[in-house]
Amino acid sequence: MTAQTRPAFLARIRFRDAGTLLGLVLIAVVFSALTPVFLTTPNLMNILQQSSINACIALGMTLVIISGGIDLSVGPVAALSAVLGAAMMVAGVPVPLAVLAALAVGAGCGGFNGVLIAWGGLQPFIVTLGGLSLFRAFALIYTGGTPIFGIPDGFRALTNGTVAGVPNPVLIVVVLALVAWVILNHTPLGEYMMAVGGNEEAARISGVPVRLTKLAAYMISGLMASVAAMILIGRLGAAEPTLGTLWELDAIAAAAIGGASLMGGRGSIMGTLIGCVILGALRNGLTLMNVQAFYQLLATGIIIIVAMLIDRATSGKQGG
Amino acid sequence: MTPRLVLSQIEKSFGPLRVLHGVTLTVAPGEVHGLLGENGAGKSTLLNILSGVFRADAGQIEIDGQSRTILSPRDASDAGIAMIHQELQQVPELTVAQNMFLGASLRHAGGLFVNRKAQEAEARRLLAPIDPMIDVTAPIRTLRVAQRQIVEIAKALRAKARIIAMDEPTSSLTPKEFERLVEVIQGLQARGVSIIYVSHKLDEVYRVCQTATILRDGHLVGRVDLPQAQVATVIERMVGRELAHGTHHGYVRDTVVLQTRGLTRAKAVIDATLTLRQGEVLCIAGLVGSGRTELLRLIAGVDAADSGEVLVDGQIIAGGDPRRRIRAGLGLLPEERKRDGIIRHRPVTTNIALPAMHRFSRFGIIRHATLKARVEELMRDVQLRPLDVSRPIGSFSGGNQQKAIIGRWLAADTRIFLFDEPTRGIDVGAKAEIYALIERLAEEGRSVLVVSSELPEVIRLADRVLVMREGRIAAELGSGEITEENIARHAIPAA
Repeated sequence: MTAQTRPAFLARIRFRDAGTLLGLVLIAVVFSALTPVFLTTPNLMNILQQSSINACIALGMTLVIISGGIDLSVGPVAALSAVLGAAMMVAGVPVPLAVLAALAVGAGCGGFNGVLIAWGGLQPFIVTLGGLSLFRAFALIYTGGTPIFGIPDGFRALTNGTVAGVPNPVLIVVVLALVAWVILNHTPLGEYMMAVGGNEEAARISGVPVRLTKLAAYMISGLMASVAAMILIGRLGAAEPTLGTLWELDAIAAAAIGGASLMGGRGSIMGTLIGCVILGALRNGLTLMNVQAFYQLLATGIIIIVAMLIDRATSGKQGG
Repeated sequence: MTPRLVLSQIEKSFGPLRVLHGVTLTVAPGEVHGLLGENGAGKSTLLNILSGVFRADAGQIEIDGQSRTILSPRDASDAGIAMIHQELQQVPELTVAQNMFLGASLRHAGGLFVNRKAQEAEARRLLAPIDPMIDVTAPIRTLRVAQRQIVEIAKALRAKARIIAMDEPTSSLTPKEFERLVEVIQGLQARGVSIIYVSHKLDEVYRVCQTATILRDGHLVGRVDLPQAQVATVIERMVGRELAHGTHHGYVRDTVVLQTRGLTRAKAVIDATLTLRQGEVLCIAGLVGSGRTELLRLIAGVDAADSGEVLVDGQIIAGGDPRRRIRAGLGLLPEERKRDGIIRHRPVTTNIALPAMHRFSRFGIIRHATLKARVEELMRDVQLRPLDVSRPIGSFSGGNQQKAIIGRWLAADTRIFLFDEPTRGIDVGAKAEIYALIERLAEEGRSVLVVSSELPEVIRLADRVLVMREGRIAAELGSGEITEENIARHAIPAA
């Protein structure tokens, strides 16, 4: 298998990510032709803002998928963090403390998943499926099924504000993506994640701390879910115990479109972000065209399958 | 009399590697024909071609005088060929009857439903003359290997097989079960079924076979009648030279670096006690299934022992987690490189860095430049070709992958190297380079344990040899005693 030779600066851009970007450009071109409003700055900001929650979840999901697992419990983890954080804020706990506590809840739920998977040896699909029900139940039981209103304005200003015209959630996502990118590409942990997902037994024989790596991935996923929860409750001003339904599917879709292989060992932060924006742009464009929600679901499904077909068709051409 | 089977001038290559050079094999009706050769001689490939798993590049197959084209396992089955693999191809949770009818179930209701009763009755009928005690409704995993083999044979008979190939049928059988198998084989012969019998155990081959074909490096080197042919001559033909006697000039020093005491794991490894000195190359020989790989994995900490200890420099190092043993200076180079040794799509750099990540990072961030430089230095040292450390490791040849894995442990300052079949799947040129590297490791004061099935390799490398047999260390051979006969003698269980 031959290595691909490209000019040095282009070599830094992954081949797969360039493809995903091309897909995004295509969608943008199509929609800008169909609706003149699409390519305007306010609308583009809109797309980014609306994709930001999925982006948070997808970043954590990408790391989990790369390490060979899957996390189906992200929605309910977000709900649980949301209601506990909101309850604290409403009860007068200083906002920073409440946010920290909510994040801790997210990381804790991720830790629960991680321990069962890494030390218990249980299948990630099943554990996080169980977690999905468990965490949702806790959120519903704690709130009695009713939303918690009264999120402090100070906090809402944080999540609804802008800096130089860029919505804060988008900035938060950019920072988190940068951190995730550094972890994945420049730290031993990232290397371990790719090794564990690529070939767990070989990783174990080579001295990789397999269990700790998996635990880290799931805790990060839980943490990202709680960040997404904070963004949402700030936007809505209330925390619903039922929030987050189907969030895991959008996150997995974004990661998959972005090139993460569900078998583990492959994926990129850039790819996942572009995948999120593709999904967001698609929905935005179809909404502008007044297309019914059902067809948006159809379009999402088609995009995912097309991305996978393209992956399959091109996978033979890459080395390794 | 027309031969039952003629394979003539069979050629097969996998890419640039030629594994069969014009091999011919003839078997008479009702004959048991042995297929002999060392590991890598081409026996499995030949059988795979016969059973339709591979397609020959050239050559003919004739059955009962008629030319046949075999392009798939279905074709082979239609031609009356059945293969009983060393690793039995059965589904553990299904019953004996279900396994016998796998892929060809008896139906009723016009083909809609599986007719379990009919299958069970038919299974009983087929097993009656061979082993009527087998419960056809039991899940097949509850049967002993000997019985599972008999089920396979009955399945072959049901498919009206006239040629049954058995690949290492006795590696898991007790002596009594072997006798039973001999009876079964003789019964098959009486029915006119021909059998191709592949085995390393020459005493068994002599017992069971009338004739044998000998392969070496993919060439046909002999066809003999048994029992007339001399064992020594047969071995010589298999191995290609006068039986080798070797003395090894070693770099052994007095310090004991590694000890195991009473290592035991289920029935695979029983009470293994050994010592390894600094600068020593200790080879572990024995038949497939004798427990060598399992012992190495116990020492490396990859598998947990049921009892026993491993001491490095006199200190007991707990097992269960490879990282403890790696920190103590051990490193395992597994037998199946692709499956257990490498992360295929990752570059050479990261594959090598895995056990020693902390040496290449500061404040939690990997220093890529330092890593690349060190890896290039190591790879130049072991002669990785081509010297492109950013390429995915899966794109390198087997020999180069092995060199990279050696580099991995060098980067981690490993002092005790555990090689499992160091040159498996590696071409002749790279083999010599690996041997040179192993000798250099010993010269540098590191210590090496080598598990190997290739006797010439053992003789070439070893300062001392331990021979394993059925899970135990059966013999220790010092310099002067390391000969193929001695090893073979201790490795083969009394049949």
